[in-house]
Amino acid sequence: MKLILKLPPGGSEGIVYSLPFGFAGCGDECDGVFAVTEKEIKIYIDGELEEVYNISDFSEFVVRRGIGTSFIQGIAPGGEVTGFCGFTQDLFPRYGEVAKLLCHYIRTDELIKETGAEETVCPKCGLPLEGSSECVFCKSTASTMVRLLKMILPYRKSFTIAVIFTVLSQLIWVAVPFLDRLLIDKYVTPKKDSIAGILLLAVSMILLMLLEGVFEYFNMKHSFKVSLNIGKNLRETVFRKSQQLSMSSISRRTAGEMINRISNDAAKLEDFITANGKDAIVRILSVVLLTGLLISLNWRLALLTLIPIPPVLVMVKKLNDTMKVNYTRVWKYSTRHSELLHDILNGIRVVKSYGSEDRESVRYTDASERLVRANIRAETIWYLTMPFSFFMVTAGSYFVLYFGGRNVLIGSMSVGQLVQFTSYAAMLSEQLFWLIFIPRTFADASVSAGKIFEIIDERSEIMDSEDSRELDIKGEIEFQNVSFGYKPYDPVLREISCKINKGEMIGIVGHSGVGKSTMINLIMRLYDCTEGEISIDGVPLKSISQNSLRSQIGVVLQETFLFDGSVYDNIAYADPAASFEDIIRAAKAANAHDFIVKLPDGYNTRVGNKGYQLSGGERQRIAIARAILRDPKVLILDEATASLDTRTEKQIQQALDRLTKGRTTIAIAHRLSTLSSADRLFVLDKGRLAETGSHKELMSKKGVYYKLVMAQRETTKMRTAV
Amino acid sequence: MTETEELYKVDELKLLDCKKIHLTHEKSGFLTLEYEGKVYHKTDPTRLVPFFSKTTYISLSYEDEEKEFHEIGVIKNMADLEEEQYKILDSYLKYKYFMPEILKVYSIRDNMQGSIFVKSLTTAGEKTICIKDWYQNFRMLTDSYLYVNDADGNKYFCEDIHRLDKKSLSVLEMFT
Ligand SMILES: Nc1ncnc2c1ncn2[C@@H]1O[C@H](COP(=O)(O)OP(=O)(O)OP(=O)(O)O)[C@@H](O)[C@H]1O
Ligand SMILES: [Mg+2]
Repeated sequence: MKLILKLPPGGSEGIVYSLPFGFAGCGDECDGVFAVTEKEIKIYIDGELEEVYNISDFSEFVVRRGIGTSFIQGIAPGGEVTGFCGFTQDLFPRYGEVAKLLCHYIRTDELIKETGAEETVCPKCGLPLEGSSECVFCKSTASTMVRLLKMILPYRKSFTIAVIFTVLSQLIWVAVPFLDRLLIDKYVTPKKDSIAGILLLAVSMILLMLLEGVFEYFNMKHSFKVSLNIGKNLRETVFRKSQQLSMSSISRRTAGEMINRISNDAAKLEDFITANGKDAIVRILSVVLLTGLLISLNWRLALLTLIPIPPVLVMVKKLNDTMKVNYTRVWKYSTRHSELLHDILNGIRVVKSYGSEDRESVRYTDASERLVRANIRAETIWYLTMPFSFFMVTAGSYFVLYFGGRNVLIGSMSVGQLVQFTSYAAMLSEQLFWLIFIPRTFADASVSAGKIFEIIDERSEIMDSEDSRELDIKGEIEFQNVSFGYKPYDPVLREISCKINKGEMIGIVGHSGVGKSTMINLIMRLYDCTEGEISIDGVPLKSISQNSLRSQIGVVLQETFLFDGSVYDNIAYADPAASFEDIIRAAKAANAHDFIVKLPDGYNTRVGNKGYQLSGGERQRIAIARAILRDPKVLILDEATASLDTRTEKQIQQALDRLTKGRTTIAIAHRLSTLSSADRLFVLDKGRLAETGSHKELMSKKGVYYKLVMAQRETTKMRTAV
Repeated sequence: MTETEELYKVDELKLLDCKKIHLTHEKSGFLTLEYEGKVYHKTDPTRLVPFFSKTTYISLSYEDEEKEFHEIGVIKNMADLEEEQYKILDSYLKYKYFMPEILKVYSIRDNMQGSIFVKSLTTAGEKTICIKDWYQNFRMLTDSYLYVNDADGNKYFCEDIHRLDKKSLSVLEMFT
């Protein structure tokens, strides 16, 4: 990353980092330079040296992200804070890096000038790279359409057959006007009385039509085969990809949006390929063929027919651009519409309990109206320009009629020839007219294609490295100096170092939002830590294949989710191959068996749709059973028993105690009594590991944990007093 | 004892009396507030409803040494402040919520992969604003309020797009 962007007036002498800024420490707008030398930080404002600070006077440097601006601060050992300057967000990564390097400098006395961190924006289009080495947008030079065509490749056989049969049936259509001409010139005009000849012509016409039907059948059969398969492949690829995406990219998108992409966009492309991909090829072929025929028949008249083509092409280009934008807007509203629908239906319980059905109806109507309006607008533009284009395309045939008619009268052309010619001209217009339609379908499809390829091309941030391997986990987990933030330079966890021994039960406690769930997210490698390393049995997480890692960890998450299906399915989710007996055993251990027995259909009771038929505690117990069934080496319980009464909790705890023998267990709980059986407690405070030790040790230390316990006793007392 | 006191204050909206507020700049970049005889350092004003109003419902808060968040109170309307005080607070908020206004839109290029590049004139000069996932980050908050969040995290706005010139409006038309 370039950390010298703008030099101070004094020049580059001794400068290590030098960045511009737009706001003085007090927030006034200015034109400033933040320069760092080996000993000092110099602040220049409007070309004048304003302030000089000694680096050694500070113990920490931080960047803080504000709303519209961010700022860099130094913190003195006494806790006194100095604000150096403020800057716009595009400079944030660079200042963040400088702050990090300065902290490193203070701690280790090593001043790093060149950092390995990559340039943060693509030099070509200016978009931030966000960790990838190449800009995803500038990398792919192949246009979306070429990629779509490439998807046909696996079905090229069927596709070719379809094309051949379409060409054949087109040829038949070309042959018909020729027969017309024969009929007129040979029999009608001379008024020749030859039934046999006319019959022969009629029979061949009927035969041709029948043949056309047969060709059409083969054509359709193969076309559909291609398009349905491509649609299927697309949906599967997008779906598979959406499963592989890292948590951070998934949480960027709403479920409604993903659904829209997987189903609607793929369907649109599927349609596009059947209806247009093949047709485009065939029609372009027939345009060439018909033009050739027309020219060979009468090149002068042919020229007249072709006159309108150039202006039509220009118009097509213009329309293409307009329609693309309009369809993007339609796409946007359609996504919003499905998002809203998804949101309301998912939260229907809240909606009902607040009696806000009418309000939601209004909200829905609004979204649906917007979609309609966007659609109407797109279609209106389209249908306003269309009749005019149609006129333009057919304009040539009026000239042909006039000049061709004159030719017939002069005698330089027969009536049959004119009929044949005008038939071809009309066919050509039809093809050309279809080409006008292309912008619309093309725009619509390329919007959808873009959205789909965007997902397919997205780089998963968490990937198995080439040398990642399977590991038989024993259960020793180590955090070495781990820092992590969901957003860069905004750490949630800081410098956590700890070791969890095999078979130990660890409790993590701390205030809400301190980063407990985050810590287990890191163990499961749903996110990669920003700094430091986590290892299991001495092997870094990054070199264990994700599958192998997660298959040996059992989790009960803070939010219980049950899939649409029976109790049985939901427990068996952890291990589809488990025997029924194993499942009952797991349910028993989770204290779930008793209430399952009472359900109308026992283990077959359907608990789908988020398991609304079950109480919060019942759902939690199913989730625990699911985790137990997995027989994991590492068991993670995030507030797993929070919705249970203390007696049920105790029972489960006992069952778990039996089960967790020899297993590493990590439990998070706010109710501290839950963790009474933990071997050691980790106390998180302000993102750092504040204390570790057993309940007793921590109580006698009278630190953070002591305060937590005391505060909880206070509230329990209050509750009992009421 | 003090802790329980704090606990009970959390659920109470405290509106500050603007006549008693005294703000000054301090070295850290935050403000210092003197109110009813108490001095609060590192006071960080926040607009509670930044989209609806820039000068009403301003929350004053600070973080103590333990990085614990404390709200001192809420200013209902900055107009009630004394002129000097208004200026200090306003300039701070303008800095914290620095958000150039879009004055003109020359052109919008779409890379057909979810990003758009908006060439425009803003109060911070001419810029090409890169926006990723534009259907999320280039949004109309109401029928006329355009809110833009660019790829770097900079924000731009246009309070009423219908007051822009015809050409800008027709360019915007396509994307709003
Ligand atoms: N996906 C996310 N993206 C951005 N920030 C997040 C995300 N998940 C959590 N955070 C933030 O990270 C911090 C730590 O969250 P975490 O879920 O680890 O807290 P916790 O200790 O488990 O809290 P609780 O006890 O309430 O469950 C919080 O401030 C939260 O707002
Ligand atoms: Mg949590």
